[in-house]
Amino acid sequence: MKLQEIIEKLSLKALTNLEDKDVSGVFISDMLSDVMSSAQAGNIWLTVQTHKNIVSAANLIDISAVLVTYDKKVPDDTIELANRFHVIILSSPLSSFQLASKLVEAGIK
Amino acid sequence: MQEKTCSHLWEMINVQSGFIITENCFRCNKTSTYFSFEERPPLEEYRDGEHFWNIMESAQSIRFDLKCSNCDKIIQYGELAGLMMCTGCDEKCEITKLMKKLEKERTWVYVAFGFFPVTERKQISTEKISILEEYFNQRRKSSRSKIKIVSSEMIGNIATCYAELIKDVGMLSLAPPEKE
Repeated sequence: MKLQEIIEKLSLKALTNLEDKDVSGVFISDMLSDVMSSAQAGNIWLTVQTHKNIVSAANLIDISAVLVTYDKKVPDDTIELANRFHVIILSSPLSSFQLASKLVEAGIK
Repeated sequence: MQEKTCSHLWEMINVQSGFIITENCFRCNKTSTYFSFEERPPLEEYRDGEHFWNIMESAQSIRFDLKCSNCDKIIQYGELAGLMMCTGCDEKCEITKLMKKLEKERTWVYVAFGFFPVTERKQISTEKISILEEYFNQRRKSSRSKIKIVSSEMIGNIATCYAELIKDVGMLSLAPPEKE
């Protein structure tokens, strides 16, 4: 499924520049080491973490987009770094559970 | 399959959670890092011979090995402290120069770190770094970009490097709100 389609279906807010990407699954964790060990390329990553090291972890695995839950404020330096390295950061006021349910409804498994 | 002819297909195995501990001796100012498998990170200072170690930071991380699913070859990564993405903070640094050259091809540069002090701890070999790079690129085989992993020995001046290791700092300090 295309990322743009998910953004529209779930009313997500883009905090960085957008690129045309495919989303192939969902990964939920607030730990960067979990991303390193278990996330898969193309996943959309749901987290409450906002510090700039999320860009390093997302880029290492080639995550489709980082989706920050609960509308957590993402620092400017994180957004700046993400734009430089073509990492997409999205935001939503919903919880990880609510977003995961909506992603399943949208057809992501 | 024989190893000589094997097109290795790496998978991460033996993933263990723990802490990367950074400590400093207040007598000689030496900095030491190591991986701890304890359930909780050490908090108190202690004496070890001539050193008086103070815990500077404990961050959650993982230790792992790689195994080829074709030939069963296992590469152990006990000497890897972590990976850091180069952000190009120092124009004079060789890694920044490499990053600027490779970013046009959408290849991102990561730095593999061993534990400190580098003169006393076995550091990760070039061969192991190449295999680690191969593993992460295999994991992202469908992507339009690649990664390049280099040794921390290439860093010009560690004191002016602003990048951070991929590790989980402060996660154990999360606490539920206090009851009124």
